[in-house]
Amino acid sequence: MDVHLELRRPFQGLHSKRMRMTSGFRWLLATLPLLCLMSQVNGQKRGAPRELKCVTASFQVWDCSWKGHGTLYEVCIEDRSHSCYHLEKANIKIPALPPGDHVITITSLHEFGSSRSKFILSERNVSLIPETPEILNLSADFSTSTLSIKWNDKGSAIPHHSNVIWEIKVLRKKSMELVKLATHSTTLSGRDTFHHWNWTSDMPLECVSHYVRLRSYIDDPHFSGHKEWSDWSPLKNISEIADSPTKVFPQDRVVLVGSDITFCCVSKEKVLSAQIGQTVCPLIHLDGENVAIKIQNISASANSGTNVVFTTEDNIFGTVIFAGYPPDVPQKLNCETHDLREIICSWNPGRPTSLVGPRNTSYTLLESFSGKYVRFKRVEASTNESYQLFFQMLPSQEVYNFTLIAHNPLGWAETTLSVNITERVYPHTPTSFKVKDVNSTAVTLSWRLPGNFAKISLLCQIRINKPNSVQELRNVTIKGVESSSYLVLVDKLNPYTIYTFWIRCSTETFWKWSKWSSEKQHLTTEAIPSKGPDTWREWSSDGRNLIIYWKPLPISEANGKILSYNVSCSSEEGTQSLSEIPDPQHRAEMQLDGHGYIISVVARNSVGSSPPSRIASMEIPHDDLQVEQAVGMGRRILLTWRLDPKMTCDYVIKWCNTSRSEPCLMDWKKVPSTSNATVIESDQFRPGVRYNFFLYGCKNQGYQLLRSIIGYVEELAPTVAPNFTVEETSADSILVKWDDIPVEELRGFLRGYLFYFEKGERDASKMRGLESGRSDIKVKNITDLSQKTLRIADLQGKTSYHLVLRAYTDGGMGPEKSMYVVTKENSVGLIIAILIPVAVAVAVGVVTSILCYRKREWIKETFYPDIPNPENCKALQFQKSVCEGSSALKTLEMNPCTPNNVEVLETRSTIPKIEDTEIISPVAERAAERSDADPENHVVVSYCPPIIEEEIPNPAAEEAGGPAQVIYIDVQSMYQPQAKPEEGPDLDPVPAAGYKPQMRLPVNCAVSATAVEDDLGKTAGYRPQADVNTWNLVSPDSPRSTDSTSELEPEPLVIEPKHPPCSAFQKRAAADTVRRIHARRIPQQLFSVPL
Amino acid sequence: CCISPPAPLCLLALLLPPLRPAAPLSPAEPISQAYSLALYMQKNTSTLLQTYLQHQGSPFSDPGFSAPELQLSSLPPATVSFKVWHALDDGERLSRAQEAFLALTQHLQLVGDDQSDLNPDSPILLAQLSAARLRAQGLLGNMAAIMAALGLPIPKEEDTLGLVPFGASAFERKCRGYVVTREYGHWTDRVVRDLALLKAKYPA
Repeated sequence: MDVHLELRRPFQGLHSKRMRMTSGFRWLLATLPLLCLMSQVNGQKRGAPRELKCVTASFQVWDCSWKGHGTLYEVCIEDRSHSCYHLEKANIKIPALPPGDHVITITSLHEFGSSRSKFILSERNVSLIPETPEILNLSADFSTSTLSIKWNDKGSAIPHHSNVIWEIKVLRKKSMELVKLATHSTTLSGRDTFHHWNWTSDMPLECVSHYVRLRSYIDDPHFSGHKEWSDWSPLKNISEIADSPTKVFPQDRVVLVGSDITFCCVSKEKVLSAQIGQTVCPLIHLDGENVAIKIQNISASANSGTNVVFTTEDNIFGTVIFAGYPPDVPQKLNCETHDLREIICSWNPGRPTSLVGPRNTSYTLLESFSGKYVRFKRVEASTNESYQLFFQMLPSQEVYNFTLIAHNPLGWAETTLSVNITERVYPHTPTSFKVKDVNSTAVTLSWRLPGNFAKISLLCQIRINKPNSVQELRNVTIKGVESSSYLVLVDKLNPYTIYTFWIRCSTETFWKWSKWSSEKQHLTTEAIPSKGPDTWREWSSDGRNLIIYWKPLPISEANGKILSYNVSCSSEEGTQSLSEIPDPQHRAEMQLDGHGYIISVVARNSVGSSPPSRIASMEIPHDDLQVEQAVGMGRRILLTWRLDPKMTCDYVIKWCNTSRSEPCLMDWKKVPSTSNATVIESDQFRPGVRYNFFLYGCKNQGYQLLRSIIGYVEELAPTVAPNFTVEETSADSILVKWDDIPVEELRGFLRGYLFYFEKGERDASKMRGLESGRSDIKVKNITDLSQKTLRIADLQGKTSYHLVLRAYTDGGMGPEKSMYVVTKENSVGLIIAILIPVAVAVAVGVVTSILCYRKREWIKETFYPDIPNPENCKALQFQKSVCEGSSALKTLEMNPCTPNNVEVLETRSTIPKIEDTEIISPVAERAAERSDADPENHVVVSYCPPIIEEEIPNPAAEEAGGPAQVIYIDVQSMYQPQAKPEEGPDLDPVPAAGYKPQMRLPVNCAVSATAVEDDLGKTAGYRPQADVNTWNLVSPDSPRSTDSTSELEPEPLVIEPKHPPCSAFQKRAAADTVRRIHARRIPQQLFSVPL
Repeated sequence: CCISPPAPLCLLALLLPPLRPAAPLSPAEPISQAYSLALYMQKNTSTLLQTYLQHQGSPFSDPGFSAPELQLSSLPPATVSFKVWHALDDGERLSRAQEAFLALTQHLQLVGDDQSDLNPDSPILLAQLSAARLRAQGLLGNMAAIMAALGLPIPKEEDTLGLVPFGASAFERKCRGYVVTREYGHWTDRVVRDLALLKAKYPA
């Protein structure tokens, strides 16, 4: 049977082997050693079988083949059975031989005989080539672009449990581009097993065909032969989608931000461009007109996704991609309950995912003990702040283990929280908060707090507010109840007080306080007043009536509204009650005889009466007391005293304004008997007002005056100045007397007076700045307050003194009062003051007279010498003419404009002539008179001023010929002596035009000189002119006389032309010229003549 | 009801019963009402289209976006040659507009639903889509009143959308919305013209 089987099978095996020989180069390599083996074993014979090769696919059967030219072969295998097979082909399938070398003899029979070859065969010489696998199924999931293949490993054929390696190739496009080469390992189990392999394509499968094939390799460690890959399986393919409604792939994909993705477009037309968002992408061409684009590192999309658009000539195709993030781990997950019925979990979603709508993150809250869960429903326009979920509590479960799972198309995240819910109670705000009276110091508070708190205790806090007091907090612990109503007693309150209450609650295992409830105001009920009123008594001024004062009780002691007071007085004889005094009145007056009574005052409110406060009507007598002084500070005054052990009840300080009449009581203050000081403070205190303070000590309800004090809370400066008068005045002293200042105006304790005095009239300006330390003010500080007068000595007589007096306190200086006093005259001094000057004057007069008499000759010579007669002094006259000549010379140079003057002369030729002659004498006489009257005056001075005054201001007018009159007068006054020779002024005016000023000068001088000579001859008394010249000559040191001498220098020039005769017209012209020259020269002459 | 000042008008339009008993009344009043509403709608159509496009991302939101090649088979196009339009009689004009706005109301509802998925956080867009739909419904009512007044047969309300492609991709939905909002504008323009013609024919 076996043999038969073996005989039949090799043909198939051989056939397949041949095919392999042609195709597998590796097989050739593998057979090389075998060939060597054969050559070793057999000698090379022609036509003998050679190149025995054996392969196996399943380890059980070896498929051997050889080369030879026989038609029949006999194969014998030398193993235990030594079996031989007769074959028609050079191929045999034999069962696998046991390990070790086996000799195989192959005899080839052919026409020309037979040949035999021997081969040694072992497992090492056998190749293991697995059977070619086949892909049973190739499927594609287009939505995920995933290819899936299925194949059978045909493991039943192989007995060993060996590893198989599969190599899978994925090819794309019709051009078979390799896109994936993967290996896949499996184990053979001895049975046929189906294997799967999945691959996700980056390119959507819709747009391009994909092809897959595989081969295998059995990696058996026990097989010692050669192991080889199987052949590739036949190709399987997934074709592109030829016709689909959608053209662009993938559609509506949700991807992670930053990932790479390929889009493709199935198109029959040419795609022109493609863009994602606004970015244009390069096209990748696939089979046909299909194209793809590759996007790398995609960024997060807007809400509506990112559009990918492919544009063809006349259409657009597109898809939307949603790039986002997987959900973040929920943050700040917190679960708590308000009422132990429902748990509220809240959390923060963390980083936004950029995905909305159906792609938004969904949340599931799972409780792991109970297995229950709730889902978070997407809310419209959810704020990204916080999310909340409600979870119904389960009865009898306290510990909850929550897992919050966040999920979106890109992934999921979770967070867990384990809570004991009774420790996470955040109660609602207490409601229906009410207050009820219990008594005057206690109330009950009630409120509602919904919740299932029956199993736990609540901790509540009551906030109590009382007017003018610090807020108080009280904690109470209450057992939780089913009914939600709670009640608590609040005691230790004050009666008749407005309280404001609030309440908030938590649980004993504190988690959070609830919010404060609304406030509730409550007035506690009244109680009897706890103390009697503070009482004092004063006797009226006539000493017959006792006035009882008491103070209203403070609200804390009144314990209600005080309605009235009862005042009663008791003595040994009995008690006498006054009628009820209604509240606002705090004073009662009663007529008492001199006996000692005890007065008691009781305050009453609606509940009852206070304990009485008692005071004795009479004071305990006291020793003489000295009045002390005290000054306070800012409406407060500190009083201290020595403790007196005899004083058992208390001390009382009463005070009043000193200016008030008796009985004087502003207020009083009680101080416990243990204290020795108190600060008196009152709004009524005013600065600058004097108060009396009386300190009383108390024993047996009777009071004894211990000290009497006057004081100010603050001292001020006096408001008035002391009134002072001058009692007495002498020549050197003043006695001043002043009055006291009234206490009201003093406004402090008087510390002294300041007295200023100084010399001065009643002139206000001087008295400013009394304090500025002026040296002439004298100050006296009078600190002896008993002194009321002051004598000021060492004053000057008959002098006005200014006196000022002012008072001062520690609060400052008062105003000043001033007065002016004149001291009396000092008679002796006056007499001396008159006599001495008179005596001195007389003495001087006498001495002077004597001296004058003795030296009279010398005096005469010095002060009144003999004056020589100037008549003989010819030189003087010359000098005068020279003087005039020289001045004329100078003036001429300055006035070259002669033609004008000539015209003037022609028009007025006649008039001056006549007048000249007529007016000569008066002027001449006048000049003579003057010279007589005042010999020391210079003539020039006397007659020149009119000329200066009239001509100088108007030089222009003169040339214009306007003020003819003025010029005229000048001529008269100046040239009276020229009148005589002026017979022919009309003779010949023509020569005047050609006349040279230089030539005329001498003529003029001569004329004037002769005129002067004539005059001198007539008026012999004319000395002063000569005098002046003489004076000038004798004293040339003076700068003025120097001027004169310089004028005298051209003297020889002047003298020379004196005698030649002058024609009439020449004189006339000269006179005219001189007239003008004079107008200019006179001032020079004026200066040249020293006075 | 509506969102803008002419709310009373809109309300009135909505309250008008689409089917009126035989109309002894003059058609002038419903024509005038319809015309006013159409004019008011016309003012808001471009805003709606712009708002819509802004929310769809590039290239829709790019300035000057226009894709006339996009059409919806379920929506009758508003464009018509002047000659054809002029040759139509009142009844044909009104019934075509009626048909178009019927389709538009349904499409606007669809677009609103689409956008509440794509842009759930944009209440402005959703409100405008909703308002446009309500106005279109109001106009339908007004036109029915006109047809009743003119004694014209009122076309039956049809489900123009038919089987809505619920599986439409996001891109398709965006395009669909674009076509609907665009055609809403075109149809509003056309109906304003239709009603102006009628108004001239039936003065008050």
